[in-house]
Amino acid sequence: MPASAQIAERRQSRMIPVLRGEQGPVMVGLLPVAFLGLLFLLPVLRLFLLSVEGGTLAHFDKAITSDLYLTVFIETFRIAAIVTCCSLLMAYPVAYVLSTASPRWVLIGLVFLMLPFWTSILVRTYAWMILLGRNGVLNQALLGAGVIKQPVALIFNTTGVVIGMVHVLLPYMVFPIYSAMLRVNRDLLLAAEGLGASGWSVFRRIFLPLTMPGVIAGTALVFILSLGFYITPALLGGGKVIMIAVLIEQQVRQFLEWGFAAALSCLLLVIAVLFYVLLNRLGRRETIA
Amino acid sequence: MVLLRVPSRVKAGLFFLGNAMLGTAAAAQAQEPPKPPQIVFNDSGGDMQKAMRDSFYNEFEKRFGIRVVTTSPVDAGKLKAMVESGNIEWTVTEIGPEEAMLAEKEGLLEPLDHKIIDLSDYPKHLQDRKYIMPKGVYTTVMGYSTDAFPAGKGPTSWADFWDVKKFPGPRTLRDSPIDNLEFALLADGVAPDKVYPIDVARAFKKLDEIKPHITVWWKTGAQSAQLLVDKEAVMGSAWNGRYFVAIKNGAPLKIEWNQGMIKESAFVIPKGAKDAYWGQKMLAVITDAKAQGIYANIITYPGLNLKSMEYVKPELQTFMPTHPDNLPKQVWTDAKWWLDNGKDMNERWSKWILAK
Amino acid sequence: MNDATPHVVTAARGPLLSLSSIVKRYDAVLAVAGIDLSVQDGEILTILGPSGSGKTTLLKMVAGFEQSDEGYIRLGERDITDATPASRGIGMVFQNYALFPHMPVAENVAFPLEMRRMGQAQIKDRVAKALALVGLAGYENRYPRQLSGGQQQRVALARAVVFEPPLLLLDEPFGALDRKLREQMQLEVKRLQRQLGITALFVTHDQEEALVLSDRIAVMNLGRIEQIGTPFEIYAQPVNRFVADFIGESNLYRGNVSAVAQGRMTAEIEGGLMVTAQTATLYPVGSTVGILVRPEAPRTLGDGETADNVASGSVTEVVYLGDAIKYVVALDGGHDMTVRWPYRPSTETLQIGTRLRLGWSADLVHVVGWD
Repeated sequence: MPASAQIAERRQSRMIPVLRGEQGPVMVGLLPVAFLGLLFLLPVLRLFLLSVEGGTLAHFDKAITSDLYLTVFIETFRIAAIVTCCSLLMAYPVAYVLSTASPRWVLIGLVFLMLPFWTSILVRTYAWMILLGRNGVLNQALLGAGVIKQPVALIFNTTGVVIGMVHVLLPYMVFPIYSAMLRVNRDLLLAAEGLGASGWSVFRRIFLPLTMPGVIAGTALVFILSLGFYITPALLGGGKVIMIAVLIEQQVRQFLEWGFAAALSCLLLVIAVLFYVLLNRLGRRETIA
Repeated sequence: MVLLRVPSRVKAGLFFLGNAMLGTAAAAQAQEPPKPPQIVFNDSGGDMQKAMRDSFYNEFEKRFGIRVVTTSPVDAGKLKAMVESGNIEWTVTEIGPEEAMLAEKEGLLEPLDHKIIDLSDYPKHLQDRKYIMPKGVYTTVMGYSTDAFPAGKGPTSWADFWDVKKFPGPRTLRDSPIDNLEFALLADGVAPDKVYPIDVARAFKKLDEIKPHITVWWKTGAQSAQLLVDKEAVMGSAWNGRYFVAIKNGAPLKIEWNQGMIKESAFVIPKGAKDAYWGQKMLAVITDAKAQGIYANIITYPGLNLKSMEYVKPELQTFMPTHPDNLPKQVWTDAKWWLDNGKDMNERWSKWILAK
Repeated sequence: MNDATPHVVTAARGPLLSLSSIVKRYDAVLAVAGIDLSVQDGEILTILGPSGSGKTTLLKMVAGFEQSDEGYIRLGERDITDATPASRGIGMVFQNYALFPHMPVAENVAFPLEMRRMGQAQIKDRVAKALALVGLAGYENRYPRQLSGGQQQRVALARAVVFEPPLLLLDEPFGALDRKLREQMQLEVKRLQRQLGITALFVTHDQEEALVLSDRIAVMNLGRIEQIGTPFEIYAQPVNRFVADFIGESNLYRGNVSAVAQGRMTAEIEGGLMVTAQTATLYPVGSTVGILVRPEAPRTLGDGETADNVASGSVTEVVYLGDAIKYVVALDGGHDMTVRWPYRPSTETLQIGTRLRLGWSADLVHVVGWD
């Protein structure tokens, strides 16, 4: 009894005020709830209804049994996973540098980080072409230096898609990690060092676990956003990379097959939610402290 | 601002123009719905929108004193959403040929009012269109870099395009089965008049051969010509106007008209559009031979009004798909076949793209 | 931790930590301006100073978190001036404990042992002993956020001593605790320190805490040590005006020496009050000095009673302190004098406006140089 009572009590204390019946927060919470309900839940419900139009699961059946859609779903996850890993590997050091930089450098760093947001996809694609294309700066330099004999395909394939997506999604990984790093009490690092930990141990035992919530949040954000990417893979993939959003878009815009598009979207949504729940669970274990 | 100052003049002009254009002018005038301050025209945007503005939109504004507001891009899905929700933003929209037929089948279109839209100068087989207003033509043509292949030594057929030994270098084609299946059959020796119905298996088998040499399957019109300009590819396919704009800007490209896939560009009025009457008037302006000529001079997509060629500049004539030298070399796309098979072909296409 | 019988250390056994000519600059600011300091083996030495005095910087240099610009630091036989914090083997308790929030108590305490690659069985044993020592046996699996402030403090202590460091650094460790808990923890730290025979260097701005905890106190100001000595010396015999003013509540007046004779000197405080002092250090006639009278020194004189120093005035403020009462008395010469007397229920509390004669003997007057 004591254990369960304790848990119940803790749950009670953790409950958001709305559920504890305080009036002010209810009013404050109402607006966003109404906003989300109206602009998110309702359309999702409609989407679901569309996917089972005619009262059959035929659309889902097609989506699951057709090898094309299965293949594309798998490809989509594969690319999302690669993009997430690359973003993480790049974002972690970037966030660390930012978290230790002076305010002025933080500002400059953030502006650079946000640049892709302010640049149109076409301009970005063109810029990558200039840099990485067959006649791009990098290939020219490598050819000139005699490192390679033939131009290397750096864009218009999966590599290009990953580069383009990481470029755009990096801020989504950097910000949660950066803010997690800012929250780490620097005394903890000194304390660990003083207690005999090497630099690596301080990182592995203290800094990394404490910034894990940021890593998990960033991973969830980037992975889920990656799943829905459409234009970047289309342009930088050279048409050789197909992600599920491309097929959904085709069904919606080209073939006016909204029922089937809705079924594909529902599947994608379910998978994204499952992934989020899974990560969240992992995150809760990490942040138990 | 300028428009606000002209209505009185326009009204006077309208009266005479109306008389000149419409046989039943008096009757039409009597029951003409009130003029809205503006209509919304949805087009492909970019270079094409600029050309539309300088030809048809300005002409419409001048005639009727109604402002033409433009939106883009072309989106059949959005058309369906508008019609189904009853909240129709567009008065007129451009639409792809197969998508137009699909929209007609789904009942998303307003019928054309032949009392307003005069198609008597159009080719015979287009004169009785019920829903889809034929505006002009464009062709998916082959183009190549004259840096890679000097003029006269370039590929002249899709068989040449497939011949990577004789014409080496990376290629680019559109990321869509449309045109590519036809090109494959033509490359495989199928006679132009035997292309339809498409032997799909044969086409994909032939496409297997060229697949490793395609560096980019292009998605947007802008991409198609730019890839040649940037030397990412030495030859490719594109809509003829895109190559023309690049050539006009000095790019070392050449268009090969032989075995181009020529097709109709279409405009429609969404079913239940607010100012459908004025949409019909807009379409009537688009049938105007002179306006079509002006448009063709800007972007080399000629109108289907047979008299419009009279207004096309002589030096641009050879860039037109309808030029007597070019037209016979091309193959007409069978939009009906694509309406019936498009969905299956696209799935098959995606599978084929993903196959290693 | 030693299994041998806890030995009580009162006498110093020689210097364990010595700082020589330590200087630290931040840009143009001289944070530590040349400090020499020896901490004797087994003592608790407190560095006491206002914020900005450089005391924390000094502590960080001992811990190795900051590098000194000049000077040497020795720990026992070893020069640790340039050693990494990890290699110094010094235990430290941080201001906010710096417990690792993602580790339960046992893991926190085990951390320094793990870093020393000690065997698991030995670690378990040592952690259990350390936790028992601070009275937290049974809390092994709690997370820091599930503990009270005092308990967190104990974990921090256990973690700092579990690997038997020769030296323990404490950086304002009691600041976050309420008064009662603070006093309890102060005594506990003192008990622990004596029990373990550990040497402790302690930094605080709280002079009361310093007086309670320390064997010796070093008063720091503007990057320098103003005075170093036992709590009694610091309190009763401050060497200069800063120390006199900073330590304890004090009545400090500026005066001129008017006469010196037979180990006594008389100084005139502006406004005409003459104060006679009996001190070891005598200042020449005419020099400006600070006259220090601790609030507990004066007593009320009855009619006809007299003392070395006498002043009259009236009460302007009454502050009840529980075990004592503090009065502010406006002296007739124009100065205020704060007096503090133990409170007894039998004595009548003086009212504001009450006239009284205060008297105090010459040996309760301390004189410091004014400059």
